[in-house]
Amino acid sequence: MKKFSLGDKVNNWVDPSFSDTSAKSEDKQIWGFQSEERRSRKWKEDQNGSLWMMKSNERGPDEPWVDKYSPCSQGELAVHKKKTEEVEKWMRTHTKATKGGILILTGPSGSGKTATVQVLSTKLGVRVQEWTNPASAEPYLSSLSEWRSQGLSCSSQLAQFQEFLLRVNKYKCLKMKGERGAAEKKLILVEDFPNQFYRQPCSFHDTLRVFVRNSQCPLVFIVSGSRSGEGSLWSLFPKEIQEELHMSCISFNPVPATTMMKVLKNIVYMEAEKQSHKSLYVPEKAELEMLCSGSSGDIRSAINSLQFCCLLEKGLCTLRKPPAMSLKRAAALSKQKGKRAKSAKEQEEHQAIGGKDVSFFLFRALGKILHCKRGNGDCPNESKGASGLVLPFHLLQHHREVLLVQPELVVERSETSGEFFTLCLHQNYLDFFSDIEDVDRASEYLSDADLLTGNWMIRHIIGDYGSSVATRGLIHSNSCQLPVGFRPLHKPSWCLVNKKHQDNCVAAQSLFKSFCLTPVGLQTQLLPFLAKLSNPTRSQAQMAVIQDVGQMSLRTCSGRLKLENLRDKEMGQEIEEEEELHSRVEKGLQVTQSHLLTNQALLEEEEVVIEEYDSD
Amino acid sequence: MQAFLKGATIQSSRPQKDKVTAGPSAEKKAKAVPWVEKYRPKCVDEVAFQDEVVAVLKKSLEGADLPNLLFYGPPGTGKTSTILAAARELYGPELYRQRVLELNASDERGIQVIREKVKNFAQLTVAGMRPDGKPCPPFKIIILDEADSMTAPAQAALRRTMEKESRSTRFCLICNYISRIIEPLTSRCSKFRFKPLASQIQKERLLEICDKEKLKYTKESIAALVQLSEGDLRKAITFLQSAARLNADKEITDQAIIEIVGVVPSKMIDNLLQICFRGTFEKLEVAVRNMVNEGYAATQILSQLHDCILEKDITDKQKSAISEKMAVVGKCLADGADEYLQMLSLCSVIMQQAGQS
Amino acid sequence: MSLWLDKYRPTSLGKLDYHKEQATQLKNLVQCGDFPHLLVYGPSGAGKKTRIMCLLKELYGPGVEKLRIEHQTIVAPSKKKIEINIIASNYHLEVNPSDAGNQDRVVIQELIKTVAQSQQIQSSTQREFKVVLLTEVDRLTKDAQHALRRTMEKYMTTCRLILCSTSTSKVIGPIQSRCLAVRVPLPSTEEVCSVLTSVCKKEGLLLPPELAKQISEKSGRNLRRALLMCEACRVQQYPFSADQDVPEPDWEVYLRETANAIVSQQSPQRLLEVRARLYELLTHCIPPDIIIKGLVEELLNNCDGQLKTEVAHLAAYYEHRLQLGSKAIYHLEAFIAKFMAMYKKFMEDGLDAMMF
Repeated sequence: MKKFSLGDKVNNWVDPSFSDTSAKSEDKQIWGFQSEERRSRKWKEDQNGSLWMMKSNERGPDEPWVDKYSPCSQGELAVHKKKTEEVEKWMRTHTKATKGGILILTGPSGSGKTATVQVLSTKLGVRVQEWTNPASAEPYLSSLSEWRSQGLSCSSQLAQFQEFLLRVNKYKCLKMKGERGAAEKKLILVEDFPNQFYRQPCSFHDTLRVFVRNSQCPLVFIVSGSRSGEGSLWSLFPKEIQEELHMSCISFNPVPATTMMKVLKNIVYMEAEKQSHKSLYVPEKAELEMLCSGSSGDIRSAINSLQFCCLLEKGLCTLRKPPAMSLKRAAALSKQKGKRAKSAKEQEEHQAIGGKDVSFFLFRALGKILHCKRGNGDCPNESKGASGLVLPFHLLQHHREVLLVQPELVVERSETSGEFFTLCLHQNYLDFFSDIEDVDRASEYLSDADLLTGNWMIRHIIGDYGSSVATRGLIHSNSCQLPVGFRPLHKPSWCLVNKKHQDNCVAAQSLFKSFCLTPVGLQTQLLPFLAKLSNPTRSQAQMAVIQDVGQMSLRTCSGRLKLENLRDKEMGQEIEEEEELHSRVEKGLQVTQSHLLTNQALLEEEEVVIEEYDSD
Repeated sequence: MQAFLKGATIQSSRPQKDKVTAGPSAEKKAKAVPWVEKYRPKCVDEVAFQDEVVAVLKKSLEGADLPNLLFYGPPGTGKTSTILAAARELYGPELYRQRVLELNASDERGIQVIREKVKNFAQLTVAGMRPDGKPCPPFKIIILDEADSMTAPAQAALRRTMEKESRSTRFCLICNYISRIIEPLTSRCSKFRFKPLASQIQKERLLEICDKEKLKYTKESIAALVQLSEGDLRKAITFLQSAARLNADKEITDQAIIEIVGVVPSKMIDNLLQICFRGTFEKLEVAVRNMVNEGYAATQILSQLHDCILEKDITDKQKSAISEKMAVVGKCLADGADEYLQMLSLCSVIMQQAGQS
Repeated sequence: MSLWLDKYRPTSLGKLDYHKEQATQLKNLVQCGDFPHLLVYGPSGAGKKTRIMCLLKELYGPGVEKLRIEHQTIVAPSKKKIEINIIASNYHLEVNPSDAGNQDRVVIQELIKTVAQSQQIQSSTQREFKVVLLTEVDRLTKDAQHALRRTMEKYMTTCRLILCSTSTSKVIGPIQSRCLAVRVPLPSTEEVCSVLTSVCKKEGLLLPPELAKQISEKSGRNLRRALLMCEACRVQQYPFSADQDVPEPDWEVYLRETANAIVSQQSPQRLLEVRARLYELLTHCIPPDIIIKGLVEELLNNCDGQLKTEVAHLAAYYEHRLQLGSKAIYHLEAFIAKFMAMYKKFMEDGLDAMMF
């Protein structure tokens, strides 16, 4: 590693006379957008002309290690080899072809997506043009004219984005001195989406379509997979658009603990070597392990925590409860009981610094509740049951062993609303019960939980109690716990069913208005009988509704509704609030309104005609 | 009552209408006034049965000062009529509109209205002399009808005004439940309790009206009216009017009254109870189904069952169990539960309890 | 080709087939010239709407029968636009305020205000008031009912209200006291039979009396259902035979089979299958409270004695919860699960008893 005298991050417009390497910062948007300097990297020219990155030692001691030790070659990436090869393959094919494609990289934050793109693009000699949202706010209307007169651009972010895409496509980069290598090959990177796109995905889709038609260089989107990110992924890139525009999608996994350990160790050693801080604290292996587990696959956060940890005094980097237990003993105990049977106390130990809440995927969260693990009553002090008391004789059937999960914690970490969680439980709990009496009790708890959240005015307060009642009730009712092994879990069908119910009701009401019947009468009496009569003068739409709603197939075998499997990595989603069932929320009107509007076309014909009071 | 309060307007529009058309339509208009308004007492003497109030008001009519009044009691006992009659007598029809402000529960009575309307009205000064020379009290009256449905903040906003303007304005609050009026207001007023009317008095009034309207009736029908209206004269007169409308020239029988009031015939209730005590569950299902099919309101059936059960010859324990179930059923019905299921559940409890004896 | 239901609907008070004294009373009401607000209540299929239309015809003449469907947009104080469908003639309006969901209060106030403020042309043959017919009054929110009461008082002179509801329990007291209540009970089975026979005669069909009786019993005295059933019978098979199978709505048969499924096996798997069937019913627009009522009836037929009272209690309890909660499936399932547990225990006890 050569050492540089200049630690500058600025572009050298002029060749320095003294060294044959130049410090160059990465291109960011060149076209007049405000650029934020991300991590500036120092490039060193090789004899082969390829550029590779070197670590700078001229940086101050306060540089974040995340930047200092960012990966510079494919081997240093904390991503699985196959994944990087996949991305590399895509990049190769698409930079060679004349028509650029679109690639979507998803994954939890800190799993190495941006780093992969950067490393691979340097390896392949492709220049990366990245888009950042311009930081300037739009001017107030009153100062609009001022701005215009000063020549500042005040168009919307959307327009700027479109311009960016257009220009990157059309124009080549200005050739900066000192740059070598394939300046023709470009790759557009978008990680920071303009806010408009979250609100109105359709404008985004149109932009994409235009881009695909005219594009010449590949476009890479990086979507960070936080919970809201997941949602925005589907709204920004719905399946139809992905298929239409032939987008490839590569999903990154969280960084596994072993890889993370390696990286952390490397960094610690390198820092220790430099010995620039006398007070560097080298953490022990167990502490490193805790760092790794606490960051839950996010390497960026792990490195940050490591930096803070090392800079602090010894012993402050973990918080223990209870304070008496030292780390060694905890480690010893955990080794004793094995990884699974951690007692509840130890689960609460978490890092004070940088410890992430372990967010459970919904699948896992549901599994924890449904498979509810209890202590096996080995330890003598545990025979007293969960509360430490011996139950009187007449209540003995309610004796249960100690619970190994904390239901409230599970619900909280699953990051879904209590209502949705309860719905998922309700969808799946029957597979885990064998006795109808247990089901009887469990279903009563679920009914209680629903009742608690029935009153919309206090729902935000009572919601947690509702889910608590539901989860604990289910766990408690399952008195004879059979080990059931793996069961597929399904998404709740209630939302769909309810929606369909509402839609059908509204459709029926609007189409059969001329009968002047109450909705109940219409649905339960008129339509079923209309299905039996021959109705030559009914319109298409009416016939469709009659067939749909009025007729039921009377198969003796009960068909299961199509159940959607809950995918492994899925996070929860919010339920659309129901309307009139609890009857005091505004949504109901909007639904009826939207349907009235959509049915407008059907009703237009009836509007002007003065009809007889007949059923025609 | 609104018709009466806006009595001036109707009277002014009526001559117009009479001018436009003649003949049967004029007759129709004449009958358009509800009898409750038509036979409202026009002077304080005619107010039935409320002696203390009448005495105080009479005194004030003779010149003594009038305190702030708070009338409370069950509906239909003459609270509004009394104060209106008194006001009419005090001021005469011409001054009435200037001197009296009525605010009903139907009107807007939030804090804003209290602050603006009431305050502005209260601040006007009035003369002590009527246009026709007779003396009249130098204060105005503000009547707040159904005051218990005013929100507590609105009531609180009122009390300051009451104090400040006591020289030129008197307040009369009318309500059903005095507990719903805040303490500071009740302490500023003299409270008068209106008792439910005695059946004799009601009967007399009803007979008077029947004579004036030339109705055919039977003694039983009047008795039924009195009994079913439970001390509420307004209800009784309204039912009488409805009966008259429906049976144009026929005699008004007690059956007709029962039908109008919407009461379940006692025969049906007895039949139902009979089956509860002695019958089988299947018969009970059929009987409850029939009763619901007849269209009777479940709350009505519930209250009649309740009265019957109290009279029945069963042990206290059974009665208390049944009453508890009735309370639960009442609550469920108020929440909107299905009537048939609730009634079935109630009757099966009665059956169970009866079977235990 | 319209349904028999509408073809043979009586159009004037004199032509009503049952509750004839009530018809005369209503006639008197019209003629006395002092038309009050009306509250017409009774179970579904009893003929409330028919009577109201006859009444209106009596009031205004045949012009009432020319109906048109209008869409009105009402702007709430919160600037929200509410679309409402109105069926109107030149003399009256019919509207279902519950269509607007939680904005029904605004609908009532605005609509009645508009109607009341449009003055009728004074003429000796015409009434000076218009009629507004509000259906499903028992589904109105309490807010809306209080607003209704205020509006009733305010606009009494130019506007009369006819309120139509299934039962008066959910109508607040002040409204009931301002209206004349007209109770329309269901016709008796004989009356249904006679109506069916006369309708068939008008169609030129011969209806055997046993079939008529069967239809009227199966319809539960609901005349609308009976007429629809009769017409479906005709489609099924004509000439009628006395022991013909009376067609029932599909969902009722489905519900009966569901009840049989519940009674035949009690286990979590069976509950899962029943749940799927419930979802099927729900997607076919059957409201959950109708489902639970239908289930209860079928289940009661399958148990006896002590169990029946328990089932009745359970049904009342869970139906009440259904109204209070937000997701019906929880309560429906809880009801079925409880029934299964209870039934299973009952059968096992019965078996034990038989052993001895």
